[in-house]
Order: sequence, then C-alpha cells, then structure tokens
Amino acid sequence: MQVGHKASFDSSIPGGQQKTYEHSHNAIKRTGKIESMDETSLIQSAQKGDLDAFNTLILHYQDTVFNTAVRILGDEDLAQDAAQESFISAFRSISTFRGGSFKAWMMRTVTNACYDELRRQKRRPTTPLEPETSDGEEMDSPKWLADPNMTPAEKSEADELEHAIQHCLDALPTDFRAVVVLADIQGMDYSEVAIAAHVPLGTIKSRLARARLRLRECLRGFEELLPASFRLEGESIQ
Amino acid sequence: MKNFHEIELLSSYLDGQLNANESKRLETRLASDPELASVLNDIRATRSILRKLPARKAPRNFTLTRKMVGLKPPLPRTYPIFRFSTAFATILLVLTFAANSFGLRMSSASAPAPAMGGYGGGLGSGGGCDTCAEEPALQAAAATEVPAATEAPAVEAPFAEMLPAPTLEGTLRETEPAADSMQAPKEGASESELQNQAPVKSEAAIPVMWQVALLGIILLSIFGMWLMRKSAARKWQ
Repeated sequence: MQVGHKASFDSSIPGGQQKTYEHSHNAIKRTGKIESMDETSLIQSAQKGDLDAFNTLILHYQDTVFNTAVRILGDEDLAQDAAQESFISAFRSISTFRGGSFKAWMMRTVTNACYDELRRQKRRPTTPLEPETSDGEEMDSPKWLADPNMTPAEKSEADELEHAIQHCLDALPTDFRAVVVLADIQGMDYSEVAIAAHVPLGTIKSRLARARLRLRECLRGFEELLPASFRLEGESIQ
Repeated sequence: MKNFHEIELLSSYLDGQLNANESKRLETRLASDPELASVLNDIRATRSILRKLPARKAPRNFTLTRKMVGLKPPLPRTYPIFRFSTAFATILLVLTFAANSFGLRMSSASAPAPAMGGYGGGLGSGGGCDTCAEEPALQAAAATEVPAATEAPAVEAPFAEMLPAPTLEGTLRETEPAADSMQAPKEGASESELQNQAPVKSEAAIPVMWQVALLGIILLSIFGMWLMRKSAARKWQ
C-alpha cells in the first residue's frame, strides 16, 4: 500500500464497522485499533518527515506505551508525560530506526523516558497529593482518584489486587521492573525485551528470574487477595 | 532451598527459552523433585498474575502536532530566491554607502595643501590647479589691501611683475574679489571652485537613485517573503 499524505487506511472501529481512515492530521481521531496497517510503509513515511503517518503509528501503540509507562512509574500522570515525551523523542529519532521490531524500538524509547522521569523524581522528590476529610485529616486510600464510572462494589477486589501487584512492582529495582513489565505484562519475547532494555539476552534471563522471585515473595504478603488458582505455595527460595 | 541458577533455569523453561536438551534434563529433575516442581508452579502463578493484570488504556490520544515536534510549514520554491535577493541587495546597499564615504575621504585627502589652508580650500578641489595658482596671489593681495593705499611703491613692485597695468585703482580693483573671498568664505568657494567640485562629486559618488532602488528591492523582497510565510502557514493549518 502506498503511503502518502493523502493515503487512506482501513481501520476497525468499535461496533465492527469498517471506516476509511483519512490519513491527515485533523482526521486522526480515536477510532480504536488499526488492524490492517502496513507498518513498514508508515515507518518509511515517518522517516521522511510525514507526521500523519507517525500519528497513525502512535494511535496503534499508544495503549501499549502508556500501559508500560504506568507499570514502570506507578503513576498515571507521570506515565502520560513519559508516553508523550517518548513519542516526541521517537519521531525525532525515527531516522535511526534500522528495521526489526518497531514495537521493541518504541518500548525502548518509553523505557528511557521512564528512566529519565524516575531520575527526575529522585532529584526532586515530591509529596503525593492525599485527599483530606472534612475534619482536615488525610484519607486512608485515595479512592477518590478512581474512575467515577467504576462502582467500588464491582471493582474493589480487582483494584485491591492491582494495587498490590503495583506495590510489589514499585518495590523492584528499576532495571528489574522494566524487564518484568516488558516480558510478563506486555508479553514481549526475550529478544524484543533485550532490544527495549538495551541489555544482552543473558542479562534479561537473569533479571527476569530475579524479578519474578522478588515478586513471588512480595505477593505472598497479599495472599488473601489472590484468586485461589494463583495462591503461591512454594517454600522460600534464595 | 533452591539456588538462583535453578530459579533462572525454571524461569527460562517457563518462557520456552531452553534448548531441547536442557528442557529434557529439567523435566527429568522436575519429575523426581517435588520441591523444584513446587517452585516452578509458584513462578508460573506469579507470571500468570502479572499477565492477568488489566491493561490500562491511554486516557487521551498522544498524537503529535507540528508545533510539538518543531516542524515548520513547507515554503514555496521561490522563497530562497527572495531571500537571496534580499541579502544581495542589502550587501550592495552597504557597499554603496561605504564607497561613497570612502570616495569623499579620498578626495579630501588628495587635495593640495594650499587649498586646504586657504579659506576657499575644501571639498573637491583635487583637480582645480588654476585655482591653486591663483589663491596664494589673491590672499597676498588681500593681505596688502590696506597698506596698498598708503605705501603704493612697496606694494606695487610685486604686482608690477604680475599685472600689465600696475595702477593703484587697478590694484584695488584686482584685490576686491580676493577681499570678497575673505569676507564670505562660509558661503562657499569661489565660482571656479564650485565648478570644479561638481564634476568630482558626480564621479566619486554612487547615485542616490541606485541606493533608493536597492532599498526598494530589499523592502519588496521582505514583504514577499512575509506574504509567502503567511500563505504557507495558512495552507498548512
């Protein structure tokens, strides 16, 4: 498929309808995942400076990128900043992309953006914003930040578990966290993770094993939250 | 209690990263070692928990604008021509000013010393040799205007050589222009000097019309470039 300024793509939108995707900046709207997409052509166009082509790639990868950033940083606002920063950085350096897995390359930019953000956080630590009750006392759990569409009754268990997992992820060293997020949460294979994390394959194996081990120990403390099928039963491992 | 090497093997085994031989050896051990099998189950459960973690959707679109990435609108092909002409005309304009200024300095520097010293000496006297010869004589005559009336013989002697009819009246008549030139030096040089100055100026200076034309080109080019930028930006939006 030839990709130009006015090229068009088929994209699936929620509801199963096929819609011609006008390939111009103003026409780019959130219409769901682009299924039939000639990624290589889009990358080539983006390398020639076609911002619309790159925006199409962004629409395809933004959920993955944002999810990775959220899991590494543990904060939605910081994750949004990191995701935006990584896309800007990716567009500026897309000419350096020499083929291979674009997803791995994209994950590398977001991982780097997250590392930068974490370094900034270390330099300027901030106090998290906690809600206060009418008496002026801090609330125990910032549930007020949750999506108002989600009823606490429906989501409480899932939320608790998610918070527990995120807590355990946050407790990992940054390098281990990035590897486990890319491999286990994003489901990337070792070679892609090696590209994204910019470390050798052997290091990925080692970091992943250590990260899983630490997570296992950490999650043991939240045993009551885990579904029965996921209950951990092994002995302690060194 | 398992060592880390075994944990790494189990982790890689779960992800299918071991070769056939390694996998077979590990499977044999797993069959005979329930503790190792239990650890494998734990790692598998941990991985499953992580994989079940709900994927967060991007709360907004992260599409980039041209401003965000610092892209500028594509300018027409003729734009560089305008830019070049502006630069070239500006350089020429500066050169014309420099040439005019340099020419004036050169002409004043090359003027003879007497002309510089006299009241009538000044700009553009480089080529006025006749004036140069006359001036000392006129100045001398002016200087002796008053004594000429009383001491006629002493003054007459030098004039007698120069003038064919050395009379007192004639001398006075002769010295009158010199006196005039002394009295009104600020009004300008004598007629002959003015006649000499005019052609010198016209030779050294670049006509003002050229400078005006260059300035016009510069202004027009700048306006043209501004219009092009505006139009390109409007089209881009």
